[in-house]
Amino acid sequence: MSATVIAFIIVLVLALAFFAYSCYRRFGLVLKGKPDNRFNSIGKRFWNMLFYAFGQRRVVKKPFGVNHFVLFWAFMILLISNTEFLLNGLAPDTISFSLLPDGAYFTLAFIFDIMSVLALIAVILAIIRRFTFPPPYVEAKSRDAFVILGLVAGLMIAFFGMNACEIAAGADRAGVWMPVANWVASWLPSGAAGLGTAARVFWWIHAVILLAFLDYLPYSKHMHIMTSIPNCFFKSLEKVKTQPREEFKKGNTFGVGEVESFTWKGLFDSYSCTECGRCSDACPATFTGKSLQPRLVIHDIKVNLLKNADKDGHKELPLIGGEGEGSVKEEVIWECTTCGACMEVCPVFIEHVPRIVDMRRHLVETKARFPEELLLLFENMEQRSNPWGIAPAERTKWAADIDVQPFEAGKTEYLFYVGCAGALDARNRHTTLSLAKIFDKAGISWGTLGRDEMCCGDSLRRLGNEYVFDRMAQANIKMFAEKGVKKIITQCPHCFSTLKNDYRQYGAELEVVHHTELINQLIKEGRLKLKSTPPDLGKVVYHDSCYLGRYNGIYDAPRRVITSATGSAPLEMERNRDNGFCCGAGGGRMWMEEKEGSLINVARVEEALKKQPDTVCVACPYCMTMFDDGLKDKEASDKVRVLDLAEIVANALPD
Amino acid sequence: MLIVACVKQVPDTTQVKVDPETGTLIREGVPFIMNPYDTHALEESLRLKDKYGFRVAVISMGPPSAEVTLRKTLALGADEAILLSDRVFGGADTLATSMVLTGAIKKLAEKEELAIVMCGRQTIDGDTAQVGPGIATRLGCSQLTLVDRVEEVDLKSKTLKVRRKLEGRHEVVSAPLPAMIAVLREINTPRYPSVPMRLEAEDSSIILWDNKVMQMDEATIGLKGSATQVRKIFSPERAKGEILGGEIDKPEDSARLLITRMVEKDLLSL
Amino acid sequence: MAEEPKKIKRPRGTARLIPGKCIACGARCQAECKFDAIIMNEKGEPIIDLEKCTRCQRCLKICPADAIEIYYTPEEQKILDELAKQKAAKPTPEPEAEKEDPRLAKLKEYKGVWVFTEHTEGKPAEVSWELLGVGADLAKARNVELCSIVIGEKVEHLCAEAFAYGASKAYLVDDPVFHYYRTESYYKAFCYLIEKYKPEIVLVGATGLGRDLAGAVATNLQTGLTADCTGLSIDDKGFLLQTRPAFGGNIMATILTEFTRPQMSTVRPHVMPLPTKDNSSKGAIIREKVPLKEEDIAAKVLEIIGDEKLDSVNVAAADIIISGGRGMCNAENYKILQELADELGGVVACSRAAVEAGWMPLERQVGQTGKTVRPKIYFAVGISGAIQHLVGMQDSDTIIAINRDKQAPIFEVATFGIVGDLFQVIPAITAYVRERRKQKAGKAG
Ligand SMILES: Cc1cc2nc3c(=O)[nH]c(=O)nc-3n(C[C@H](O)[C@H](O)[C@H](O)COP(=O)(O)OP(=O)(O)OC[C@H]3O[C@@H](n4cnc5c(N)ncnc54)[C@H](O)[C@@H]3O)c2cc1C
Ligand SMILES: Cc1cc2nc3c(=O)[nH]c(=O)nc-3n(C[C@H](O)[C@H](O)[C@H](O)COP(=O)(O)OP(=O)(O)OC[C@H]3O[C@@H](n4cnc5c(N)ncnc54)[C@H](O)[C@@H]3O)c2cc1C
Ligand code: SF4
Ligand code: SF4
Ligand code: SF4
Ligand code: SF4
Repeated sequence: MSATVIAFIIVLVLALAFFAYSCYRRFGLVLKGKPDNRFNSIGKRFWNMLFYAFGQRRVVKKPFGVNHFVLFWAFMILLISNTEFLLNGLAPDTISFSLLPDGAYFTLAFIFDIMSVLALIAVILAIIRRFTFPPPYVEAKSRDAFVILGLVAGLMIAFFGMNACEIAAGADRAGVWMPVANWVASWLPSGAAGLGTAARVFWWIHAVILLAFLDYLPYSKHMHIMTSIPNCFFKSLEKVKTQPREEFKKGNTFGVGEVESFTWKGLFDSYSCTECGRCSDACPATFTGKSLQPRLVIHDIKVNLLKNADKDGHKELPLIGGEGEGSVKEEVIWECTTCGACMEVCPVFIEHVPRIVDMRRHLVETKARFPEELLLLFENMEQRSNPWGIAPAERTKWAADIDVQPFEAGKTEYLFYVGCAGALDARNRHTTLSLAKIFDKAGISWGTLGRDEMCCGDSLRRLGNEYVFDRMAQANIKMFAEKGVKKIITQCPHCFSTLKNDYRQYGAELEVVHHTELINQLIKEGRLKLKSTPPDLGKVVYHDSCYLGRYNGIYDAPRRVITSATGSAPLEMERNRDNGFCCGAGGGRMWMEEKEGSLINVARVEEALKKQPDTVCVACPYCMTMFDDGLKDKEASDKVRVLDLAEIVANALPD
Repeated sequence: MLIVACVKQVPDTTQVKVDPETGTLIREGVPFIMNPYDTHALEESLRLKDKYGFRVAVISMGPPSAEVTLRKTLALGADEAILLSDRVFGGADTLATSMVLTGAIKKLAEKEELAIVMCGRQTIDGDTAQVGPGIATRLGCSQLTLVDRVEEVDLKSKTLKVRRKLEGRHEVVSAPLPAMIAVLREINTPRYPSVPMRLEAEDSSIILWDNKVMQMDEATIGLKGSATQVRKIFSPERAKGEILGGEIDKPEDSARLLITRMVEKDLLSL
Repeated sequence: MAEEPKKIKRPRGTARLIPGKCIACGARCQAECKFDAIIMNEKGEPIIDLEKCTRCQRCLKICPADAIEIYYTPEEQKILDELAKQKAAKPTPEPEAEKEDPRLAKLKEYKGVWVFTEHTEGKPAEVSWELLGVGADLAKARNVELCSIVIGEKVEHLCAEAFAYGASKAYLVDDPVFHYYRTESYYKAFCYLIEKYKPEIVLVGATGLGRDLAGAVATNLQTGLTADCTGLSIDDKGFLLQTRPAFGGNIMATILTEFTRPQMSTVRPHVMPLPTKDNSSKGAIIREKVPLKEEDIAAKVLEIIGDEKLDSVNVAAADIIISGGRGMCNAENYKILQELADELGGVVACSRAAVEAGWMPLERQVGQTGKTVRPKIYFAVGISGAIQHLVGMQDSDTIIAINRDKQAPIFEVATFGIVGDLFQVIPAITAYVRERRKQKAGKAG
């Protein structure tokens, strides 16, 4: 065994040992998290991994994502080359692609050469981007970023150096098949003495950079190179539409107050973050100048995990409410609207909202600490089962002038779950009345629960008051079961999603439909006829409610209905559909003051006004309030009106 | 040292409606809640507990179903909750109510030195604001009503200093312990029960004191011990919403009409 | 008896609760039932055990809400009618002369109507004079004297004023120990006077001070006290009928203090009309010395803080709130609200729209995410009445809405509404309040 080989073995063993130790330390921490079964439906998971990780489906959605796509694939392919490289170092004479038959060897050499140059170009572009139009967060220009980019670039340069020297020395028979290396070689004095040594030097540079890269990886944000692929494997099989239940038993902890109370997946997520910043770009809180940046929340979870790693028992850095990096500020936790935009764009499927709600749960359930406005909400919900604390007897007031059947299994097909806003808010009662009219016109058999209806508990769940939500959900489900409710129409997307997705965790088998979908279906089936010349609403722009759109994928139904009811398709705001921008009311924000930055609803109204609409169409009572208020703020309420989809349809019904 | 917080369970009268046709009270579906003023009395007790290390006992006179409210006080951090319930306590006016409550307070004070009796300013059903003064008088202790801030408690000299809200002004008063404090709603913002505390409270037991335990003279309590008798109950004339003037261009007339109507309705004295 | 055709057994009927009438008064019926026949359900309503019930009807009589009745089935009713017919045929025996309750006899020595004169360091509270008005009616009905009680330091001038408002006698306790109102000194003095002179009726203003004092006095004397009365009259037996709202104003109750004296009430300010002042009226001043020394009074008033000196305005605690919304147009315009507030002794608050626009600070915001207020009077000026605002103020006793849009939802909850331009209406209200104040000062002076 030659001295070089021995030297290489020592270097390699040391490097690998260090890498293994680093991985053990880092991933050992992940295992401290709470259990979470992410090993079911393996087949589906493999497919997700192929599609999203190897296919880079979400990465390429952004213009610069192509660069990453190239780098990713170059990296994947060069992984093969580099494995060969290391093995070759151990056994130069027995392991080498050059021992393959010509055809195979030449092909591989060609591919590696091209991939290397693509990687080099991608890296250079990335560096240039960081100097010209940097991504909108500071760490993009951090030392870490440049170290990694530098290492990758160095690796490629060494690779070409090594190959070029060998080609020039005539030692590589695949020379012509490596166009780039060959081109570099053409600049070298062919056959000159010392080329062999130069090749060895490049070889060693390449080896050292490669191993340094490997050892540095677990300490860098580029750890995602190792974690993001498995994270796509472990990704939630369904869209994340809800939060897991909690078990209310003495001795349990409620919510997440220290990092290890997250599930292991929650911790693994934090390792997988590529710090791409897309989530923050999409976030309405970040957009309006608040402290919340979903990327930083994930980052802080990771930093907290790592910083507290050695200090067992005594956690020096609190997960919530500490100073600086690694701790999430309380305000930040409350600023989220749970709009889901972050989760929609995250290329590696990090689940921000459940993490934020976990921390809210800790604050509400364990610490009983929350913004003071919420006290009123919580008390109202618990005592009167509606957010405003209005007497339950008022729930039937909207129907004072019309005849409404009580829901009775067998007699009425659908339960019309009016919802708190639909029943109690004077503005939204118009929507409720419109719906009643539509149902009757279409000959739907429906009834309500009248004053027995209770709040679905959406806001409580998103705000982390799981204990009271749990009680309300169980009470509702019990009532549905007792009354024989099977099919439910809701007018509020929050009720819709809660009854449909959250109550399923309680074993409730309900067929829940939102009015936008139902109306669309009624029109399609010809059960609902609309006027041929509908009342003129001018230009209509449609706003996607997060809990209708992103959470439940209902984008087309409302748009089709508008088209039928007004004669033309609605205008689209700049951010629409899955990229839509929250009105600011979700996640219980409807019951809180926005103390930092500017108002989200105003930002959204400004965006709508750019389209110079005459009507803003919404499909959610909270959006209604938010647009109403925002338009008044912008002094545009004289020119632009807000209507619920149901109101637009009711207006277009023939008399 | 001990703080006794007096808490009454009341129907949520803001949800009570009067049937416009028959004039009867619609109580259907109206839940019982902790008297809102008493939530502040309890909160102030708990704050003093946190600050000075008092023990907080809650007492409530009422039907067995008042247990629900007492359980809530435990979830909020009270150390002990005692339900004073017996049919002979029923039908009490404020005189008889303060009799039973004072009896219970004295019983508690046998075991532990009494520092403060904390009451709400008034209830939302009886609305009398008389039970607090009644207790203070019966105990012969300092009587501090309309308190909107407890400035300090001096455990050495056994005195305390509070701020009272009077018409047009506030006064700061010092008084010796034990003292009865009746609090206003603006004194504090009540806390919210944490889940571990709620679960704890779900399993803990409420102490029941009936008259076998209390041994009170039946002539001084309940309906028999009451000096006032509620003779009749009827529904008030309801002021329905009324649009005054209606003439947009005659603001002076509308203004005059408004003030006149307010004076008529005893809302203003001019 | 033997010639009676058939002995018919008198049907007993069933005692039963009339649905919807019980107000859960606190188990009066249960306390009254001597046969343990009543248990209360968790709604606070009686459940009558017919096995035990003897149909004695005591619960019927005690129930203030007339919620219990004796019910006869149609058959039973028929028998009853039959019995009534038989009875009508026979001569009816003389009705028993009503026996007077022996407990009442010893109360006869109590005579006279007293009104407590409330003042702050010599400055009288108007309610004291209002009570002299209604007190005069009561005194006339009972044919007794109307007296004023004046306790304080250097307060003799109040006696003269009391005479001007109708008192014929004033008991005066004037001593430095009474400089500030303190429960202990005042209630001791008051009880001393009552025990000495034995009035039958004692009226006190239902102010913070009055309710503090009356509660202590009544407990000390072991007599009945009716809170916050809005109506007083004398019934045919000579009892004081006291009417008061309860249940958050949802019901009115008539209350009697039958067997103890004096009959005490606190009476709501502004409710009783102010009697006309006659400065020529004179009366007798009875000076009393109460054996109380400053050392005996443990409570000390350390400091008086005028509202104007408070560091911040607490809208949640205010009795009168003038609230302005987006209709105010700018911060400057809140001046007109402040003027009205100053005139009425209220504070200025706002809707969220005004906070967002930067016209008012967040502490003044009323609503779901602002303060919840329950003032006696709430003016909503240029506020549309969005639900997020309504929930913060709808428990106010009186709501006055001023808005130029008559469709505005605020009118649905308003007690009084004015449709009009706030910039005209508000100054007009302020001007008219000032005008009436001036008139009154002229009349009184
Ligand atoms: C329609 C109606 C009218 C009435 N009017 C009168 C009246 O004018 N005069 C009169 O003497 N009685 C009256 N009563 C009886 C009175 O409501 C009861 O005596 C009641 O038990 C106590 O009075 P309150 O609710 O007004 O309490 P308040 O005196 O208003 O209560 C003050 C504080 O005392 C404490 N407290 C009161 N009750 C309890 C309790 N049961 N357990 C523990 N703490 C308590 C609480 O801290 C409360 O905040 C009336 C009852 C009814 C139904
Ligand atoms: C999360 C959230 C929390 C909220 N919390 C609160 C809260 O706590 N409190 C709150 O108040 N709101 C709150 N809101 C806002 C609420 O939805 C309404 O937007 C707000 O109450 C409207 O205020 P406004 O009535 O003053 O304004 P508008 O609705 O614009 O009404 C102004 C009114 O003034 C009238 N007007 C205009 N000029 C004149 C004139 N010259 N004379 C007479 N009338 C005139 C108009 O007719 C109109 O009715 C909240 C909203 C959200 C989204
Ligand atoms: S859910 Fe919406 S508001 Fe919350 S962090 Fe994500 S993008 Fe931001
Ligand atoms: S959480 Fe996802 S979207 Fe946000 S920075 Fe990390 S990888 Fe990007
Ligand atoms: S009628 Fe007499 S025995 Fe029967 S429930 Fe009433 S009080 Fe009791
Ligand atoms: S006395 Fe009348 S009002 Fe009182 S509890 Fe009994 S039935 Fe109800």
